[in-house]
Amino acid sequence: MTDKTDVWQGTLALMILKTLQTLGPLHGYGIARRIEQISGGMLSLNYGTVYPALLKLEQEGSIESEWGVSDNNRKAKYYKLTRAGQKQLEREARDWQQAQMILAKFLSATEPST
Amino acid sequence: MSLIRAMRAGFQRLAGLFQKQQRDAELSAELESHLQLHIEDNLRAGMTPEAARRDALTKLGGVEQTRENYRDRRGLPFLDTTLQDLRFAFRVLRKNPGFTLVAILTLALGIGANTAVFSVMNTVLLRYLPLPNPQELVFLRLPNGPPEGVSTTGDDDRSFSYPVFEAIRKEHAVFSDLMAYMPLAVDKVAVRIGKDPEEAEGDMVSGNFFSGLGVSFTRGRGFAPEDETAHASVVVLSYSYWSTRFGRSSSAIGQTIYVKGVPFTVIGVTAQGFYGVEPASSTDFWIPLQNRPELTAWDEEPSTIAFYGSPKWWCIQLIGRVLPGVTASQALARLDPIFQSAALIGLGTPDPKAKKSILAFGSTQGIQGMREDYQKPIQILLAMVGLVLAIACANVSMLLVARNATRAREFSVRVALGAGRGRLLRQTLAESFLLVAGGAAFGWMFAVSGSRALAAWSGAEIPFVLDARVLLFTLAISISCAIVFGLTPLRRAASVPVAVTLKTSNATAHRDQRSSWSGKVAVASQMALCLILLVGSGLLVRSLRNYQTLPLGLRVDGLLVFGTDPFSVRSDEEKEHFYQNMLARLREAPGVESATLVSHRLGSGWGWNSVWAIDGVMPQAPFSESMSANHVGPDFCHTLGIPILRGRDVTDADTRSAPKVVLVNETFSKRFFPKGDALGHSVTTLSSTSVGKIKLENRFTIVGVIGDSKYKRVDEKSKATLYFPFAQSTPIPNIQVELRTGGDPEALIPSVHAILHDLDPNLPMQKPMTQRAQFDESYSQARLFARLSIFFGVVAVLLVATGLYGTLAYRVERRTSEIGVRMALGAQHGQVLWLILRESLLVSGAAILAGVPFAIAGARLMRSMLFGVQPGDMISFLLALFGVSCCARGFNHPRAPRNARRYHHGTAL
Repeated sequence: MTDKTDVWQGTLALMILKTLQTLGPLHGYGIARRIEQISGGMLSLNYGTVYPALLKLEQEGSIESEWGVSDNNRKAKYYKLTRAGQKQLEREARDWQQAQMILAKFLSATEPST
Repeated sequence: MSLIRAMRAGFQRLAGLFQKQQRDAELSAELESHLQLHIEDNLRAGMTPEAARRDALTKLGGVEQTRENYRDRRGLPFLDTTLQDLRFAFRVLRKNPGFTLVAILTLALGIGANTAVFSVMNTVLLRYLPLPNPQELVFLRLPNGPPEGVSTTGDDDRSFSYPVFEAIRKEHAVFSDLMAYMPLAVDKVAVRIGKDPEEAEGDMVSGNFFSGLGVSFTRGRGFAPEDETAHASVVVLSYSYWSTRFGRSSSAIGQTIYVKGVPFTVIGVTAQGFYGVEPASSTDFWIPLQNRPELTAWDEEPSTIAFYGSPKWWCIQLIGRVLPGVTASQALARLDPIFQSAALIGLGTPDPKAKKSILAFGSTQGIQGMREDYQKPIQILLAMVGLVLAIACANVSMLLVARNATRAREFSVRVALGAGRGRLLRQTLAESFLLVAGGAAFGWMFAVSGSRALAAWSGAEIPFVLDARVLLFTLAISISCAIVFGLTPLRRAASVPVAVTLKTSNATAHRDQRSSWSGKVAVASQMALCLILLVGSGLLVRSLRNYQTLPLGLRVDGLLVFGTDPFSVRSDEEKEHFYQNMLARLREAPGVESATLVSHRLGSGWGWNSVWAIDGVMPQAPFSESMSANHVGPDFCHTLGIPILRGRDVTDADTRSAPKVVLVNETFSKRFFPKGDALGHSVTTLSSTSVGKIKLENRFTIVGVIGDSKYKRVDEKSKATLYFPFAQSTPIPNIQVELRTGGDPEALIPSVHAILHDLDPNLPMQKPMTQRAQFDESYSQARLFARLSIFFGVVAVLLVATGLYGTLAYRVERRTSEIGVRMALGAQHGQVLWLILRESLLVSGAAILAGVPFAIAGARLMRSMLFGVQPGDMISFLLALFGVSCCARGFNHPRAPRNARRYHHGTAL
């Protein structure tokens, strides 16, 4: 019944950071692929949108990039998490969990408690 | 996102504006590798090569789109297009060099004048001393004056006694440092470096003066506290004195300077830009506090009460550095009891009814003492240059409007091709930004030389600095200009109906009622502004004229005046002999017709005010106000050309041992002896040692009644004045010499110099100048402002004239076909002329109607700066109207008929 959800603004960065934390240095295609897989096909992701997001994270100093060679001998640009990125990931993940918890409680409180 | 991350990203994006090709290539390579990886995966999943490729491209969401999004994120798109706009604007302006040059110069004039005047305001009213944490520094003040019965100096609202200085200095909870300073003379002091005597401004200061203020040094060092206690013979030079006197040579350190004959060793040179803490004058050198009789504060005669350390000698000026966190009220609450008890030291029991001295702080912002005198004039001057800038802006906007009308087609084409209004706005803003930036840059250069010229004209010793605050002011006015200009032409362009402009061949298509109306308003308001400015300058010029033509009561031309300071001559008997000898020598000098002496130089602003008893009786109200007096030499009236009404002049026979005599002026005689029988009566000097006890001292017989003449300044009212022979006063004061010559007074200077050198090699010739120039100094402020207002008035007229010329020419040009049609249909030459003239007459009329009320209001604000002129002065208004109509008529009269003739030849059609 539901369509694929578009990626919310801002969450893409968090997903990228998490991906890089879990899988280590990875190229843009791999990151996009991984995000799609983890979401179980529920997210509709234009792979192209990953690149401006990667650029933004790099400009902010959360990730670094360098050219490397993939498993099947293709040249690709690899991104990896910096220490600042690690911290940002921890902070934002915590914030997300908190927000999610509050919202979950809020939505489950069907009756007013007196 | 934290600020640091945002800034980091910002810098990265700024860097993204450059090396675009390399970055683009890298992105292409990355996207290419992405597609390859994806295709390989797809192939492995069993797709056909073609399907694999299509799928990869679809999932990516389009290579070009990705690239575009990526680029937006990489650089700063706004900045990127702005740079594009600026480059384009630059090309457009370069294609119209005439327009660009005129616009930039006009703006430079307006901005430069404003910046120069603001730099004066900044120095005089706003700037702090160029020292670290200057806002912590305060002057100590006595708004009520010192306690009664003490000996004071000219600056009695800011001078303290030595015990007060010591007591406040010991209190460490308020000031981190308290610095004392006092000038060695009213003006300059005799100094000798090498052979020739000269004069310089010097202060005696406490040992912590430089360290407490935080003065840095170009060479050597400042004073230490021991230098003060030992009254060390060391001297620190200012940067500018070091530059002029020693040519910035390091060998100055260790050299000897003789200050009133006392040798001092140079130990340091202050940093550039430090001119000391004296108001409105630059100090040349500093020495530690001295206890020698030759070196006293204000060059006062040392006596039991007027000497170093005496509690009755209130001559020390104080500046303190308040500890951080201490407010002024806390500081004063803590200091007041200390001050009150220290103030009474040596004064005995105070009279409970006597007024109490109060300690206060004075701001070190601006130049102390000048704020009161200059605040109003500077504000008015700033308003005047503000008007000049407004006129300049109006001019440039009219130029822009005229030019952009011809560009209407260009704008229309661009709109038709899909340029947004926003992009057009940014385009015109970029052009006006470039114009204003050019104007501001040239304006700044004008201002640099302008503020130097202002400093020279006003005789200020401290240069008017163009510092960060002035720069900020310039930027602020420039940016507001840029915004105004950017918006002016756009309103026009944006309202252009595209289809109409494109269809019509002639630019007249959009000459709607509204735009021609706004052009007229611009011209009229420019003329109105010009009128206001001209009325202001007219009033100031008429004031100056009044100063210049004021009768002085003496023959001022042909007089040379100079001061001397024979500091090696001590006793009154020696002084009498010295001056008599000097007079005798000077009278024999070639070119000198006669010579005399005065103690207070005429026209210098300095004078001697007191009250004398007449025939042993104190004058009662309403005549009990103070009188003026001066010490004079033999031939006083003869030399200065003051008429003797009754009795005689002072002669060589009025010596110290002769019967004591005095001359009085006409006002004195009329006030106290209305029957005209003043001769033979006597005046008596009062000496008030303490309140209530008046002792009558010497009795002087009136031997002459002479005409009233100006004493301190040219604009004073005549006051009862007494003239005592200098030889008969105790002590004999320092003397100024007046020489009368038939030729050029200044030509006497070399021979007089030689005579003085012959009398005493240490004897300087202080401030030699013509008596005329000295009197002129008493209205130098009025003269400066009159000159400046003439300058601004002329600039305004020129700007308005060029503006009118430009607009009228443009309007006539625009109506070419209309006029052509009219003439073809049989309109007469005169009718066409009237058509054009009527418009400019209407505009001028409206301008005058609007300008006159503002001019009247402006003139009222200037009342305090006027002298002998009423704000509603008809002549000034008529002159201003004449000036405005000149610039209006002068430019459209000859042009209109010429154009009309041209139409006659049918070219218009």
